[in-house]
Amino acid sequence: MKIYLFATLRDRARARSIEISLDKPTTVAELRQIIAAQHTTLAELLPQALVAVNQEFAFDEDTVSPDNEVALFPPVSGG
Amino acid sequence: MNDTPTLIALTEAAIDLNALQRAVTTDLDGTVVAFVGTVRGVTPGAAEPVTTRLEYEAYAAMAESKLRQVAEEMREKFAGIHGIALTQRVGEMAVGEPVVAVVVSCGHRGGGAFEAARYGIDRLKQIVPVWKKETRPDGSAWVEGDYVPARGD
Repeated sequence: MKIYLFATLRDRARARSIEISLDKPTTVAELRQIIAAQHTTLAELLPQALVAVNQEFAFDEDTVSPDNEVALFPPVSGG
Repeated sequence: MNDTPTLIALTEAAIDLNALQRAVTTDLDGTVVAFVGTVRGVTPGAAEPVTTRLEYEAYAAMAESKLRQVAEEMREKFAGIHGIALTQRVGEMAVGEPVVAVVVSCGHRGGGAFEAARYGIDRLKQIVPVWKKETRPDGSAWVEGDYVPARGD
């Protein structure tokens, strides 16, 4: 599945999105571990990164499915 | 007539404050409060006080939906307000340029528009997925916020 990246995470990955292999629903906490394992350059940024699932903030105990829209980004700094 | 116009914009275009003021003003209004955030060129006391420019990036679809959420929260908390415009620009901004606007109308100056505008910009900075990269004379770096969303954000 595709994970969209923004700001520091996009720069670190040098890509607007990454692909991970996920074939069944999992938790956001596990998703962080899967991304860290499959994309090691992002590993150190993952603990502080925010996760959005279907354009809503998601939390470690929430479920994420392979067909969801998932994004990973640092705390926001707009305005 | 629509007594509660709501305008949400995530845009590269310059902010036209006069247009926003006209758009939020209904026949019920005698007050419009506008907050405008601009690119600060000097931050006294900072390790590197000079900012050359800022570059804004957004997760566009979620940012628009969160801007709408901010407007809804403003209406829930400040029942006296009528029109709301929330505009966040993206792209490269020079020092002095307006980057964000929160414009609120209400019947009278005591009707909550000041408070609603303050709430709106604070909330925008907490939950709208936009990031800025700051360029200084010594290089550039992403600015990271310090707000960690909770359930319901």
